[in-house]
Amino acid sequence: MKHLQYNDIDYRTLFDGFRNPNSGAVVLFSGEVRDNNKGREVTHLEYEAYEPMADKMIAEILAEAKLRFKLNHVACVHRLGKVEISGCAVVVITGAGHRKEAYDANRFIIDRVKNEVPIWKHEFFTDGTSEWGQNCDCVTNGHEQHHEHRHEKA
Amino acid sequence: MTVQVVCFAGLRKYFGSKTGVKVEVGSSYQSILEALAKINPEAGEVLKSCRIAVNEQFVAPDSPLKEVDTVFLIPPSSGG
Repeated sequence: MKHLQYNDIDYRTLFDGFRNPNSGAVVLFSGEVRDNNKGREVTHLEYEAYEPMADKMIAEILAEAKLRFKLNHVACVHRLGKVEISGCAVVVITGAGHRKEAYDANRFIIDRVKNEVPIWKHEFFTDGTSEWGQNCDCVTNGHEQHHEHRHEKA
Repeated sequence: MTVQVVCFAGLRKYFGSKTGVKVEVGSSYQSILEALAKINPEAGEVLKSCRIAVNEQFVAPDSPLKEVDTVFLIPPSSGG
């Protein structure tokens, strides 16, 4: 799998691969694990995915972003398994001629990965309980079926 | 016919990792969700926000059920 891994994400090395004479802007987003969520103290997270489908979907999102935003380089890697506090859960790097494309593409990619790709976060709390996370607001907004629409709120 | 349903994440507490459901030949994928809701009514709400994938592609719930052995029940994503 190219876009999912069980070991630490070495985003410094990934970033070095983005040096390109045509790229005036390289944006790196790292989604990191907070020690709290909705007022509760978090000890760590564990990620699970429907792996072959998630890997394929991330590849498709990156291909679409590369074309749409005219990127020179693009990468996205998401962690699976246990991630400690301050660990990197997901990284998105976009390299383009100018900053607007690099920023816009980066946001486009992380939003779609969070909302559409079959990856799930299991949060563990200091009180010994745990909970599966939910990024999208479909249930609370009364939506039924499908997540094919964009989720602006997540 | 019996379809095997693979469950992920929070769905496992309702159905385990994999469960078989009986559905009528010629019905839609939606019938799988309805059958699951009957097996465990507590999952009724979350099932409304689940998608079904076959061969690593999402299928429309109202599309006719094809001859598949296994479907993947995808709860709302929570990556990142």
